[in-house]
Amino acid sequence: MVASKPVVEVNDLVKQYKTVTAVDGISFQVYEGEIFAFLGPNGAGKTTTVEILELIRPLTSGSAKVLGYDIRHTSDVKEIKRRIGVLPQDFSALDKLTVKENIELIGNMYQKRLPTQEVIKLLDLEDKTKEKFENLSGGLKQRVGVAAALVSDPELIFLDEPTTGLDPKARREVWSVIANLKKLGKTVFLTTHYMEEAQALADRVAIIQKGKISAIGSPQELITEHGGSKTLIIRNAGKPLAETLTKKFKHEILVNGNEDVLIEIPTADEFWDIMSHLTKMRLDKDIEVQTPTIEDVFLKITGGRITEEGELKQ
Amino acid sequence: MKFVTVFTAVTKNWIRSRSGLFFSILFPVLLLLVFGAIFSGVGGSSQYNLYLQNQDVDNQGQATELSTAFITALNSTKTFYLKTVPSDVNATDYVRDDLGPLGGNMRILIISKGFHEDLLNGTMKVRVGICLDTMNISYQYFEAHMTDQQKLALQEGMTGLQQLNSSLPETQTSITIITDPSDQSGAIISSIIGSVTNAFNYEMIGAQNIITINREDATTKKFGNVDYYVPGITAAFIMTNGIIGLSATATEFKRRGIIKRLSLTPLTKLDWIIGNVLSQALLNLILTAIMIGVGWIIFNVRIIPDALTVALILLGSIMFSGIGMTLSGLFRDVEAASAVGNAIAFPMMFLSGTYFPLDMMPTYLQAVSKALPLTYLSDGLRYAMVYNFPEGVYTNLAIVGALAVAFIILGAFITRWKER
Repeated sequence: MVASKPVVEVNDLVKQYKTVTAVDGISFQVYEGEIFAFLGPNGAGKTTTVEILELIRPLTSGSAKVLGYDIRHTSDVKEIKRRIGVLPQDFSALDKLTVKENIELIGNMYQKRLPTQEVIKLLDLEDKTKEKFENLSGGLKQRVGVAAALVSDPELIFLDEPTTGLDPKARREVWSVIANLKKLGKTVFLTTHYMEEAQALADRVAIIQKGKISAIGSPQELITEHGGSKTLIIRNAGKPLAETLTKKFKHEILVNGNEDVLIEIPTADEFWDIMSHLTKMRLDKDIEVQTPTIEDVFLKITGGRITEEGELKQ
Repeated sequence: MKFVTVFTAVTKNWIRSRSGLFFSILFPVLLLLVFGAIFSGVGGSSQYNLYLQNQDVDNQGQATELSTAFITALNSTKTFYLKTVPSDVNATDYVRDDLGPLGGNMRILIISKGFHEDLLNGTMKVRVGICLDTMNISYQYFEAHMTDQQKLALQEGMTGLQQLNSSLPETQTSITIITDPSDQSGAIISSIIGSVTNAFNYEMIGAQNIITINREDATTKKFGNVDYYVPGITAAFIMTNGIIGLSATATEFKRRGIIKRLSLTPLTKLDWIIGNVLSQALLNLILTAIMIGVGWIIFNVRIIPDALTVALILLGSIMFSGIGMTLSGLFRDVEAASAVGNAIAFPMMFLSGTYFPLDMMPTYLQAVSKALPLTYLSDGLRYAMVYNFPEGVYTNLAIVGALAVAFIILGAFITRWKER
């Protein structure tokens, strides 16, 4: 589901630091109402791009428009700042202030804003309003950060690595918050190095590596284009079955370390042929079908995986 | 009015920080209590320990009349706690043993054998000498008006006195003071004993003071020692609150991305700086009020801050906030900013006449103190709160004001703000 009106338009954007090119001529659009994810390892250029769009860093060349305003025009700066919300990477707030006071601090910087209590309710922070920021868990701190980004009632929200460093439970809590932003009609520009985060949340994903965008599209489009075939897995079946099936179907059939038999299925007809054969064999094994993920897409495109810490592993 | 929001937030954040409260308010108050306890005289005046060996005793071990009178004169100053050393021992060895392994200050006054006798002879010789001198001068001035009979009688008298003077032995009465060169109070103790000795000398020869000293307070009100420390300590901690406190806090805000987050809103750098400076000003006004309050309750200080005092505190807050902002702009690491802040603040604290008068320092250090901003805030507050000397306040206020403008501009220039 992609809306037609672009709220971010980037054309041939370049950011050069002395000898390092952090962003190398990228172009993309983010459409109104969608969750757009920038997926890539550390140092890929995600945060640099986002910070250029947030007006923190100047661009070297190219052009970019945010909500129709050219970021290169000083006269447009105030309007852009007024209409965007930001959760920076490693968000932090004043330790001794309460959740409510920290949201108020950001909210009071804007003329047009949502009531603090409303934002607190939206982020499900009602029972934490009087809690000091320093006493919150990582997940709750990120929720305060999202609340601070939301309090100005922005049209576009930038979330830079919103779940980095969080435990799986807290990460899923933040995902729920991000999904709710879309329901509120906000456009979300998300950066992440977590594959499953991009796949779970994003309407469209741009894979960025070494300052260049390698692929862009909806998760399904990317999987269809780059993810490869589905895989039929017969658990704990061992080599004999693999050899039998190889002879029958002329497929390259693999066996992993758990003695699982892995069969890559290019077409639906072949899938049903194999299933029919297995039925006749009355095979008493667990069978499942694994569909390709964004991780497979990333592996195909970049030849590597991203570690939990965000590093690229070839 | 976004600076009001910043002011409210950073002030609340500071008030709720225990370490912030301790170093900004409690520590200066503790320091005032320590200084006050030492210099106010509350709880009894302090006395110097002094060992005394009176060797001028008779065969029964009884002290002679004049040596006893001298000791009484020493005691009358209420400056010394006298410890007696037996007359027949080596005083230095005795005191060293008495002080024990932990040591202490070796201060010994020895009244030599023959003190009484020598003093009597010496006094007689001085008195005869004075009579002879007086008669001689009288003869020279009034010779023309005297009859021959009067001249003869005077000459006979003078001859008789000369014979008496020649017959008196040449004596020199002395006492001995032994102090450790490392004892900082040694010079003070010697000076006090010297004053007692002079007074004793005058008394013995029956002289009267012709010149007397009238002591008057330079201030219009009656102040105690602690009144003088309150402005100095207050100024010193206005300085540390800005240079150490604010620089550490602002650097921490920067390191944790809080400043970056705020810069993503319509908040301007100017609003951020004004909010922080106002917070510092409030903190320093509270500090001043508490210092005066504690001084009033415990040490009965009498100083009352006026409008000029408030103006100095506000300008001082701006001045040192500017330096604090500059440091936080220069360093990304809190430890580095704190280390440099301490390296600037502590020498300045001691070289600006905050805790002791500049006159005590060598000339070159006095020149250095003139280059330190704290000197002008400290002097200005003292002129305003203690001396009631408006001309002195205005001069220092003008200097502090000029420095405040210079440093806050520098701080604003150095502070990095993601603002386009």
